This record gives sequence, structure tokens and C-alpha cells, in this order.
Amino acid sequence: MTAVLGAATSTDMNTELSDEAAEYGRTALRAFEAAGGDELVQAAEREPEKRAGLIEPLLDEIGAWELDPRAGGDELEAAAALCRAAGWWALPYPLAERLCRPADGSTAGLVLAAGTGAGVGTGPAPAAAVAGAGQRWSTVTLDGRRGVATARPLAEGPRYGAFVAELDPEPVATSTGTGTGTEDGTADGRADAALALVLPCWTLLGMLDRALDLTRAHVLARQQFGQPLARFQGVQFQLTDAEVERVGVEELAKFALWSVQAGHGDAVEDALALRHAALEAADLVFRVTHQLHGAMGFCDETTLSWISRYSQPVRRHPLSLSATRDHLTRRIGRAGLSGPFAGPAGAAGAAARAGAGSAAGSGEEGQPR
Amino acid sequence: MGEGVATLRRELRQLVREHVPPDFLGAFTADPADLEVAQAFCRTLAERGLLCMAWPREFGGRESSPWEQMAVREEMWALHEPRGAQYMGVNWVGPTIMRHGTAEQQARHLPPISRGEVIWCQGFSEPEAGSDLASLRTTARRDGGGWRVTGQKVWTSYATMAQWCFLLARTSKGARRQQGLTVFLVPMSDPAIEVRPIASMIGPHHLNEVFFDELRVTEADVLGTVDEGWSLVQEVLAFERVGIARYARVERLLHEAPTALGDQWEKLPEELRGRWARMLVHARRARLLAYRVVALQASGRIRPDDSAAYRIAVTRLDQESAEVLMDIVAEASLPDEAGRRFRRAVADHRRYSVSATVASGSVEMQRILMARALLAAS
Repeated sequence: MTAVLGAATSTDMNTELSDEAAEYGRTALRAFEAAGGDELVQAAEREPEKRAGLIEPLLDEIGAWELDPRAGGDELEAAAALCRAAGWWALPYPLAERLCRPADGSTAGLVLAAGTGAGVGTGPAPAAAVAGAGQRWSTVTLDGRRGVATARPLAEGPRYGAFVAELDPEPVATSTGTGTGTEDGTADGRADAALALVLPCWTLLGMLDRALDLTRAHVLARQQFGQPLARFQGVQFQLTDAEVERVGVEELAKFALWSVQAGHGDAVEDALALRHAALEAADLVFRVTHQLHGAMGFCDETTLSWISRYSQPVRRHPLSLSATRDHLTRRIGRAGLSGPFAGPAGAAGAAARAGAGSAAGSGEEGQPR
Repeated sequence: MGEGVATLRRELRQLVREHVPPDFLGAFTADPADLEVAQAFCRTLAERGLLCMAWPREFGGRESSPWEQMAVREEMWALHEPRGAQYMGVNWVGPTIMRHGTAEQQARHLPPISRGEVIWCQGFSEPEAGSDLASLRTTARRDGGGWRVTGQKVWTSYATMAQWCFLLARTSKGARRQQGLTVFLVPMSDPAIEVRPIASMIGPHHLNEVFFDELRVTEADVLGTVDEGWSLVQEVLAFERVGIARYARVERLLHEAPTALGDQWEKLPEELRGRWARMLVHARRARLLAYRVVALQASGRIRPDDSAAYRIAVTRLDQESAEVLMDIVAEASLPDEAGRRFRRAVADHRRYSVSATVASGSVEMQRILMARALLAAS
């Protein structure tokens, strides 16, 4: 994605990931398959304490730990492609969070905290599917305020909890006393917030890819009234509507990734826009794919059932659909999202945000640069 | 998207500011002055080489890039299409004549199109042939060296103001319904053609019935080959893969809303501002899906179903955004001229959006096209 989306500096627009990143994603997909594919999540659910031991060597083998998504360029794109491949297999591991771990290795990874203030009680406690994959986690709010939190022990088994653990923020010293995060967000913090929102959406995209792929195969194979389900227009139309949602997420995911990569001043807003669309898409895609699978879709022998259950953590944490929309609406204020028709109000809004410490402002006529 | 595109956008916006009144809501209103604004604007674009940018140089174009063409589509639609009906001649009638027309047809039709002087209408749909175009009944019966055309077209946009019609009629009965169809280029001034406007909520000039009563046509009026018009029509539709950049007007109106409402914006129900934000996300999504189609087109990898996802998303956006925008203006008083102008633009958008999922190929046809590709093994 070297040529920028909507930018005014290049002569064309390449909406694809780089060949290297795409190839890395395919390699990861094959490696996960060779290591068990759909069996991985089932094995992790049977023996939750072994999940890190099951997945980490595999990630080591494909060089996942050498990726630095903050380095941008191919590494960020490769991280996105890797997350998408992990989503395809519902890889039972907090890959996106772990890929965003701090360079000094002081914590296991990075989790977005839903609250915006520095103190306790400004939002729900952070939570993510990190149980058993590390004790201490870095946190960052949408405003870029950093903190550290400790994962609580699992309240319930993964069959229904899908490895989600709540995190207890650790107190840190601030100028006004002892709080649970740094007082002011930084540009780096906001860039991290955008990254922590975008990468899990790539995992969710991989899950949508898989759910639709499974359903396509199912409706082609399953016969009713003497013909495949795929022949019924009622089935076809549901599937196309779900596919429109999936491909829309794919485009927004690439845009949001570019926004992070370019250090765009609106990267957090772009990431929230992606998350909003991805959560809406997930709602429709899983409703349709379950419906078209019929009762088979609930059964453990059906892969859709596993993908569907393990899509829950990323769809609820760190922000639900309503919370995502709420944050997006408040953050864009009157300015809206960047784009060719953002106009003076949009440009002014982005500039105001940039003035508050963002890494970059908006380009000409509100277009990302 | 290059600096050239940004410059082009600036140039187009400047031209619209200079030549189009701020309360312009399109060429197709009850006020004939609006049509004249559009016609004059087309001449202005033509003088600057901006009307037929995509055309090959040998026909007076600039061979502009797909991204420049996209920027033109976006800018024009965002600003209520000040080219009026010209996009039809420029975007597909002209290019089709370039490919299939005789030297005489090219000499006769291309210069007036490139100067923005002529309006075309499209004689495709009929009372019994909507989405199922191949079932059309308008017939061209052999009569000496030519044909006599009899039949009826319907939903024909701009027929009251068009000088020419791109007419599809049946010339013979083939083994398949798609066979035996022929395209004729016919002058609307012929007394054997009668146009009856259809009053509708989307405004005047958009919908008409056109009756052909023994219209005399000759070999010279045939575009391409007799009986092989179907493949030509498929090509025509391919020119319009991306179609109207509906998201551009939606994005512009959504972005204008807070300015138009002024202080009242913050007093809107929070939930309504949330719906506004959601529409901005959906508008961006539609725009990126359009860019995906353009990228595929530019790389020569496009298939007919590739634009279907975009078309489904953008037509839904058109209608959903209209509902949100109507609710926004209903919650505000908007007493000044700019406010009234915004309210009128939103109401116009709402009326026109009703046709979005029907016009230029219904959304169901797009779903069928997409399903066919998705389920190719079936």
C-alpha cells in the first residue's frame, strides 16, 4: 500500500497490500493449517492452560515476533495480513494485542482501554481475550493516555468466556496524585490507540472471510427440495448482502491501516470508523451465515460455530458498537471524517485535533495526505 | 491520486462557483433557466477541454486517467450535476459511436457531443421490458431499403429535451431473445415520435413515455450491425460500471449539515448525531468501494460483477442518508438563505434517492449478478 489512498502525492491509487505482506499472510494461513487449522481453537478450549504453548512456537516459526507494526510500511501490512490469517482459523491467541507489545518488553502487549480519563471509573475496566497469554498489559485510551493493567484470573472457562479477562489498571503517579494512567495523551499514545483498534479489526475481517467461505460451500452442497440451497434467490440475496458488508470492511481496513501508516492526524477517527463498520458487518454476516447453515451452524462439528463464538471478544471489546459510535460521534464533532468533501469545517476540525498533539493534520480540502 | 486530481477538483469547484448559481439543484426543474445554466456550463467545460476529458485525443479528448474521470464524476454529482443530461452523450453514447459508428456517424454526432450542444436520451426500457430488457417489443419492420419502427418506451429520462435517441428495437426473431435486436440513432424531432411526460415525485423531465408510430429509419441510422445490438448494449452498460458517484453528494450534504445548522447542531438529539456519524462511515465505505472498481478497471482486471457490491452499497447509502438528513433539517429552523438552500438540497436528495435502487439497473439485478459470481460453481 505504498501509493496512498485519497492522498495528493501519488499518481495512482493502489488499494492492495504490498505483495510481500499478502504473501506473508498466505504463508501464515498455510502454517496455521499445517499446525492443525480448526483443531487449534478446539484444543485450546479443551486445555486452556496450554494455549500459549500451543500457539507461541507456531508464531515464532513464522517470524511473527520479528514484526514491528509501529515501524509502518511492510511490517505493519504484514502484521495486518497475519491478523487476518489468524481470524480465518479463529486462532485462540491475542495476536493483535501481542504484536503491539512495547519494544522494551515490559508488558505482554497492548490493550485499548475504553475510558478516556486518567482516573478509575471513566469507563469500563479494560478487557480482552488475553487470559493465560501474559500477566501485565500496557493500556492506552483513545486520547492516548497510557497505563499498565494486570489480567485477572478467568472468571469462567473458555467455552463461554472465549478467554476474555478483565484487566485491573495499576496505579501510577500523576501531578494530581495517584491515578491509573498518565495525565495527558501523547501523539505516540494516540497512534498506539489507532493501532490497537485497527489490528483486531483485521482479525475480525479474517473471521468474516471464513464465515462467508464456509457458508458459500454449505449452500452449494446442501440440497433441499431437490436442489442446492444456492439456487434459491432468498439464499442468494442474503449471501450477497453479507458479502457487500465484508468487502466494505476490507476497503475500510486498508484505509485505516494507511491512516496509521501515514501518521494521519485522524488515525483514531479512521480506526473508529473502521471498527464501527466492522461491528455492523459482523452482526449481519454472522446472522446470515448462521441462518443459512440452519441447525448445523450451532453444532460443534461445524466450523462456523467456533468462528462465531470466538468472534465475540473482538466484537465486544474494547468497545461495543454503541460505544464505538458514541466515541466516533463525539470525536468528529462538527468536522466529520476526512475526505474530498470535508470542506473548511472538516479541515478546521482536523487541524484543531492536530493542534492538540496529533502527529499530522489533514491535507488539502480535508483529504488525508 | 495525483496532484493532477487535486488541481482538477479545484478547477471544477471554481468553475461551478463562477458559472452555476448557488441555489442550483440540477437541470431538471420546472424552471427552464436551470436547463440553460447546465447547457452553458457544458459549453464552458468544453471550451476548457474538461467535458470530454476521457475521450481519445483523435476525437478531441485528453485521455484522462480513470482517477481524473472519477474526480469529475464526484465533483459534478456532489454539486447537483451541472452538466445536466450531457453525461449520457459524453460517457457512453459518444464512446460507443467511436467504437461502432461509421465515419459519417462519427462526423455527425461526435463534434456536437464534445461541444456540449446536444442532449441524448436512451430508448431501452418498455412497459413489458424493465430489468428483463431482452423482452422488449418495439419492432422495426423491414420496409423497402429501411425499416418502420413502432412501439413504446417508458421511463425515458430527458426525452422532452433530447435531440437524439439511442434506440434499441427488435429487427428479427432469433433463437434467443437477445438476438435480433438493433440499435438505431434517431432524431427526436421526427413527427413519428411522441413524448408524453410522466409526473413524478423526483421532478420534471426525469420520466417520460416515448411512442414510435411507423418511424422511418434507414441503414444509415443503424449503429453497429443489424440484429446484433445486444452486445453493443452490454458494452454501453460496461462504460457505466462505476455509474453515478452518489456518495459524493451524500458526503457533501453530510459535511454541510453542521455548518447549515450553526448553533443548533449541538442541540440535536445525540442519537441523531450518531446516525449522522454512521452515515459518514457508510459514505466513506461506498467511496472506497468505488475506488476499488476504478482500480480494477485501471488494471484491466474488472469483471461485470465487480461493481455490484459498490452499487448495492451506494444506493442503500443514498436512501439511508436521505432519511438521516431529512430528520436533521426537521430538527432545525434554518431561517437564513443558506439554511433554506440546504433544506431544499436535502429535500431534493430525498426525493431523488427513492429512485436510486431502481434506476440504471435495479439493486436486485446487482444482487443476481453478484450471487452468480459468488456461487459460480452452482
